[in-house]
Amino acid sequence: MLSSGRRFDRATALFLSLIAVAFIVATFDVRSDGDGAGTVMREGAQTLFTPLQKGVDFVAAPFIGFVDGVANIAGLRDDNERLRERLVELEEQLRETTALERQVAELEAINGLEPPEQLASVTARIYSAGASAFDQIRYIDKGIADGIVVGQAVIDERGLVGRIDQVTNSTARVRLITDPLVSVGVRVQESNETGVVTGQGTGMLRLEMFEATEPVVAGNTVITDGSRFPPGIAVGTVTKTADAQVTFALRTDASPAVELSKLDYVKVIVGWSPLDAVSDETDTTVEIPIELPEGSGL
Amino acid sequence: MRARVMILALGFVIVAVVIQTTVFAPGRLQPLGAPPNLVLLTVLAVDRYLEAEAALLVAFTAGLLVDLLGGSPLGLWAISLTAAAYVAVKIRDRIEDNLLLTAISVFALTLLGQVLFVAVGTLFGLSTITDPHLVRKLLLPAVYNVILAAPVYWLTSLAMKPLQRTWAP
Repeated sequence: MLSSGRRFDRATALFLSLIAVAFIVATFDVRSDGDGAGTVMREGAQTLFTPLQKGVDFVAAPFIGFVDGVANIAGLRDDNERLRERLVELEEQLRETTALERQVAELEAINGLEPPEQLASVTARIYSAGASAFDQIRYIDKGIADGIVVGQAVIDERGLVGRIDQVTNSTARVRLITDPLVSVGVRVQESNETGVVTGQGTGMLRLEMFEATEPVVAGNTVITDGSRFPPGIAVGTVTKTADAQVTFALRTDASPAVELSKLDYVKVIVGWSPLDAVSDETDTTVEIPIELPEGSGL
Repeated sequence: MRARVMILALGFVIVAVVIQTTVFAPGRLQPLGAPPNLVLLTVLAVDRYLEAEAALLVAFTAGLLVDLLGGSPLGLWAISLTAAAYVAVKIRDRIEDNLLLTAISVFALTLLGQVLFVAVGTLFGLSTITDPHLVRKLLLPAVYNVILAAPVYWLTSLAMKPLQRTWAP
């Protein structure tokens, strides 16, 4: 009985010590702001686990696809109908876009502007994610060897996914735009006014505009303003109409343009840096949406 | 022999972390929008065959691994898993092989671990507490863990029980 009591006492002491250590580690990690021993350990763990994760992902992918297919079979017919309708809409939009492209080309010729070059990008596959439902990160199978560096924008065919926040030679970690640590300079497409979108750690984004003169309306599209990421990438859609307050500050919610829970392949834009935005501003006042290169179904 | 049991326990934890970050990752198997917390379940399963101190160390290591491969500050899952393991160690003698009590304890300890993560995460600036799907993300993993407890407990029992018998008092 006595030995049992002693053992539990030791366990309690160890428990309290471990909790204290964990609190200290967490405090240092938060304070280091991505520049401490924690980052080195994360990169080491990522390097060690990547082969295992890629192996399991490769083996489990067909099984997951089968289970997913069976689970969603009831919704496939509805999806098919919806996609047919969407195809008709997109064909109509394509015709309008072609006409607009012609107009833009004419305007560029009149103003003597060079057409925007296609931005170089790297297609990558997501092979892993954080270990809990609360993590807002993904791991991709491309890294430094493919030209990826910290800070680059990650997109899919619908818009901005997030940014690279950690990279090894062959893998990289993407912090999603829904993470509170990610802020994106944006422009409301309809009013052309600028603001900042910040992740909420959930499915939604917070849009803040500090010099708003016009209200934003539910359904307005928010795109990148070119300050940190290439301009013109869809970030999200405003979900709540909001008007500017006396101080011209405006706060509302937006839903991400990308369905972040269903990501498989993404593109990392490697051919653009924020310095390009500075040189662009001195050259022209016309903002032209970027053209994303085609490939791998994106 | 104790070292072998510890190594085996850590092996189970590593396998659980790999499966959690691949098979149960977003976009893969997440029924109703939330995955099971396989790492926590595995910690609870292997801890039944470890001494109290070893059980806490395994839980702490598992938590650190989850933190290292996740996006949260280092140490948060370590706190959550260590706390869940501590409670599990304290109550395991009362549960023994009672199936109903085991199921209840898995549900309650999974919930405890996740609630602790959210609560401590709030202290460190995470805003998971404002997640509109928070209740779902807390409850569903607990439910899934109860379902997965049968195969996970069986596997760990198969591998660890023979080793435990040779040294346990």
